[in-house]
Amino acid sequence: MNEADIDADATDRMLLQRMSAGDRAALAVLYRSYHGRLCRFLSRLTRRPDVIEEVINDCFWIAWQKAGTFHGDSRVSTWIIGIAYRCGLKALRQHGDEPVEEDMQEDRFPAHCPDEDRELRDWLAKGLSRLSADQRVVVELVYGLGHTLDDVAVIMQCPVGTVKARLFHARVKLRNTLPALAGEPPIRKESMS
Amino acid sequence: MTLPTDIGKDCARAWEAMPWSLQNSASHEQDEWLTQHLSQCEACRGEFEQQSRLRLAISLPSDIPVDADAGLRRLLARIDAPDTHAAHSRARTSWVTRALVAAVLVQAIGIGVLGARLWSENQADYRTLSQAAAPLPAGAIHVVPDDTMKLADWNSLLHTLHLQVVNGPNDVGAYTVVASGSSAMPRDTLQKLRTTHGIRLAEPVASAP
Repeated sequence: MNEADIDADATDRMLLQRMSAGDRAALAVLYRSYHGRLCRFLSRLTRRPDVIEEVINDCFWIAWQKAGTFHGDSRVSTWIIGIAYRCGLKALRQHGDEPVEEDMQEDRFPAHCPDEDRELRDWLAKGLSRLSADQRVVVELVYGLGHTLDDVAVIMQCPVGTVKARLFHARVKLRNTLPALAGEPPIRKESMS
Repeated sequence: MTLPTDIGKDCARAWEAMPWSLQNSASHEQDEWLTQHLSQCEACRGEFEQQSRLRLAISLPSDIPVDADAGLRRLLARIDAPDTHAAHSRARTSWVTRALVAAVLVQAIGIGVLGARLWSENQADYRTLSQAAAPLPAGAIHVVPDDTMKLADWNSLLHTLHLQVVNGPNDVGAYTVVASGSSAMPRDTLQKLRTTHGIRLAEPVASAP
């Protein structure tokens, strides 16, 4: 955890403390601070904006109620993402699992999205569509949100070894598919046992 | 789970280190070692470039439009609403608690009544082998029928004299009979038994010492 992470976590803890005293302004600050991260994280589980908003609100509803019980065993971000993950799985059970679509719709990209970003998103979406939901979540947590293996294990409530295995298999799959999606030959052929 | 067969130990180490180096959580030494390895290994360099691109792509903001302000307004409205929801919840919880307490009380009273009733009832109609033999009622008679006496005659005799067998036959073939009603005096019954053909012995049961 670098200095920026330590500072961010200290701010989050202060906000949680204020929330536990019923400070709604603190809730609003934390909500906006995590909204973008949670949107992207949950987009690896579902493409439905209504479900994503529902999960984010469920997550902060719980955070609001449990803010006083946070004892700092982990980073606040690990705690919140863990809640969001469990709320996301619950929402998927209620709404049905909707895997990431292979073909990105043209109108999905933001209007300000440059062509380069669009190409990158398309490349990533096709690669992630080859992964299982668990693998997509691990890749997002490690590469997107910058969590350690231990953090991911806490978030997903599974052993670190399981996280390692999911990350390994996800990377192998992506290594074999992403270059081809970009019009290049695979970097290396390899065999899995 | 194995790593690709055509990469060496250093390449495996580089493979492990890449994500952490990319997220700036690797130590300075690890970063330096990886940089040095990448400068010498084209395959790992290609892999690292792809990993960098993956991280860049995955770090782009979500492409799904979700309005943070609208979501926050709904969340705050939801937090305001629970006051009534909580009140309903408390009322429901209180009602449920009272119902449970009432059920427990009814059960306790029922068990008490049942216990008292059982206590007041007679002893069970059976006895265990460890229990002492129940005392015979007054007027009981030991009767030894003759071996030649037919069952029908025995039954007829018991019926006529209003007797019922309460024990026996014992080792010597004696039955214990008592009067099933109070129609006849034990002494008369004893006399009739002794004069009945087929009855070898009829003696009153001696009272307990």
